[in-house]
Amino acid sequence: MTDQTTLDALRTEVRIWLAANAPKGWRQAEQTHEQFAAAQRDWFLKLVEGGYAIPHWPAEWPGGGRSLAEQKIIYEELAKADTPRLLLSFVSTFHAASTLMECASEEQRARYLPGILKGETWCQGFSEPGAGSDLAALKCRAVRETRADGDVYVVSGQKIWSTMAQYADKCLLLVRTNSDGVKQAGITFLLMDMKAKGVTVRPIQQIQGDEEFCEIFLDDVEVSVADRVGEENKGWAVAQATLSSERGLTLMELSYRMRGALSYVAELIRRHGREADTEVLRQFGVLSARVDSACAIADQFLENRMNGIEGLGDASIVKLTYSRVLREYALLGLKIGGLDEQYRAPITFGDLNTGNWMADYMNSYAWTIAGGSDEVQRNIIAERMLDMPREPKNWVVA
Amino acid sequence: MTIELSELRDAAQKAFPADGLRPARDASWKLIAEMGWLMMPLSEEAGGLGLGRDAVATIHFEMGRVLSRAPLIPALLALQALEKGAGLADQAGWLERVASGEYVAVSLEPKNTIVASGEVLTGTLRAVADADMAGHLLVCAPGLVALVPSNGAGVTVTERPLWDESRRLFDVTFDGHKVAPELIVARDNAADGIAASLRAELLVALAADALGAANATLDMTVEYLKTRKQFDRPIAMFQALKHRCADLKTRIVSAEALLWARAGDPEASEVQLGALKALACEVFRFTAEEAIQLHGGIGLTEEHHCHLYMKRAELNRWLGGSADDLNEAAGRAALAA
Repeated sequence: MTDQTTLDALRTEVRIWLAANAPKGWRQAEQTHEQFAAAQRDWFLKLVEGGYAIPHWPAEWPGGGRSLAEQKIIYEELAKADTPRLLLSFVSTFHAASTLMECASEEQRARYLPGILKGETWCQGFSEPGAGSDLAALKCRAVRETRADGDVYVVSGQKIWSTMAQYADKCLLLVRTNSDGVKQAGITFLLMDMKAKGVTVRPIQQIQGDEEFCEIFLDDVEVSVADRVGEENKGWAVAQATLSSERGLTLMELSYRMRGALSYVAELIRRHGREADTEVLRQFGVLSARVDSACAIADQFLENRMNGIEGLGDASIVKLTYSRVLREYALLGLKIGGLDEQYRAPITFGDLNTGNWMADYMNSYAWTIAGGSDEVQRNIIAERMLDMPREPKNWVVA
Repeated sequence: MTIELSELRDAAQKAFPADGLRPARDASWKLIAEMGWLMMPLSEEAGGLGLGRDAVATIHFEMGRVLSRAPLIPALLALQALEKGAGLADQAGWLERVASGEYVAVSLEPKNTIVASGEVLTGTLRAVADADMAGHLLVCAPGLVALVPSNGAGVTVTERPLWDESRRLFDVTFDGHKVAPELIVARDNAADGIAASLRAELLVALAADALGAANATLDMTVEYLKTRKQFDRPIAMFQALKHRCADLKTRIVSAEALLWARAGDPEASEVQLGALKALACEVFRFTAEEAIQLHGGIGLTEEHHCHLYMKRAELNRWLGGSADDLNEAAGRAALAA
């Protein structure tokens, strides 16, 4: 653990840097998704330059080697300064990086990691139309074939819910290389070039007007065997490393941002002249306490991790708390805002608490569904924390 | 949780094991005094342990878990008031007696009709805990904090039987009782300051009590679901029930995180502690409500423990101030932030 003086010094250093470098007026400037993506790239590269983009990477990388306590401070300050969240580079710096660092070969690391710091972005090709909560049921097929310059996997199938895949250079791809036996045992993990022949990306129009997720269609795409992570049919374990790459910092950051965004509720109450409405005040009080508890549980989770304590299901509690409170936040805004909120207003890309209450409400579903739905989190909590028995597996259609 | 706090918790769980629900009041009181818990918040200079709000909350949490009948919450409030009452004659003697087991009763309902005209008290103090075992009561009136003998002239003590049998509350009516000069704890601003700090400590104590009890309620419920078989399987296997338990667990754990954050923050305001109390008591209330439903018919019987938690949960909601009032204050503060 890092001592308090070092931490305080880091906080001051980050604050000074942010005062000079944090983008201003970014919400107004990003009118289209393309502008949003461009601004995301700029901000990421600036953070790389400042040394704050990859605090969780090992020390040999510039800006890496930060303790969890230091990472927490950087994220707290980024939230306080109301900087744009790093969405476009999220999969690259967390999921791709930890997959490469934990499971890939030396050669693969050398090939891909430096590019991430130059702004190369990655997406995740995990979910499929028929494999959501039951990810291991994925069907995207890869057949090994021999070419003059070495073996390749020829991949065909469809991926879905790939965040920002329309801007991605590379893809973390799960494919099926064997259909016999246990479904987890036939999965292989590949690193795919999004510009390869046969890759088609189609952004999905979301209900609030954003295009955060995409479908990826793969039509006989050739991926070199050199781009396989781990052994053939052993990709499921690699995927677990990918999925557990981010442990708590994001939810802490988001909870803190939501606390800052309680000011939008206050503004709304004033705008509608409800300052003396005791029922509205009560509901605002309840929401504030709920947001505070979301911050407290995220803090506690990180604190425990710093002390090497993480119980089964702890991460699910943090996520489920956040997703529920995020919904409550939007619902209170809609309730106070009334009919006014039913008139269309411009959305802010990549921001969850914006004071555009219909947009915030629709956005909140991303957190109750994506990254393991609330229902999956509840199963984890019930089965692993409360030790309630699993349902029998061998269900057959009558 | 620090090592100090987890040791405290372990000691409490050993002294008051989970299977001994609603331990008898007088035996518990004796044990509590032996454990030294009555001197926890008292400063070391005054002969106490000098422990903070988080340590005190740890014990209240455990007392909630076993639905303790002993009036530890009011006892510690009285102790803290007396320590702040520099004007009290024989303050050292009072502190020593109270810290070693002489019980001074306190009201758990900050809203009251007590008026002090000079040293003369009139009005009714509601929700005075365990007044039957107290020689003196600590009374907070606007501008005056004082001790009053429970059998004093113009003092009437009446028990108000509760649905919740784990607590005993009394109405105390003052009909022009004149406070003895040596029993005046504080006057004017100092008195109002003491009253405010007692309100704050009461809020944390009740939040801790509620969450300790909520944990016990959920533990009991999950155990039952694992044992109870219908359709040839433990009903804990049904996802409809699992998800409800998982939701309860999530609510309890996140409210608890806020409890420890606030209990460990000496700067936490009365309004913040009020919002915490309202949240914690609502979590307990909902857990107890769900517990009965999840137990089915057995949950409606007197012999089963479900109702004990439910009744304490309902009572806790109203002690220390109602959720509506506390949440409104929190909303006002958030609006002004």
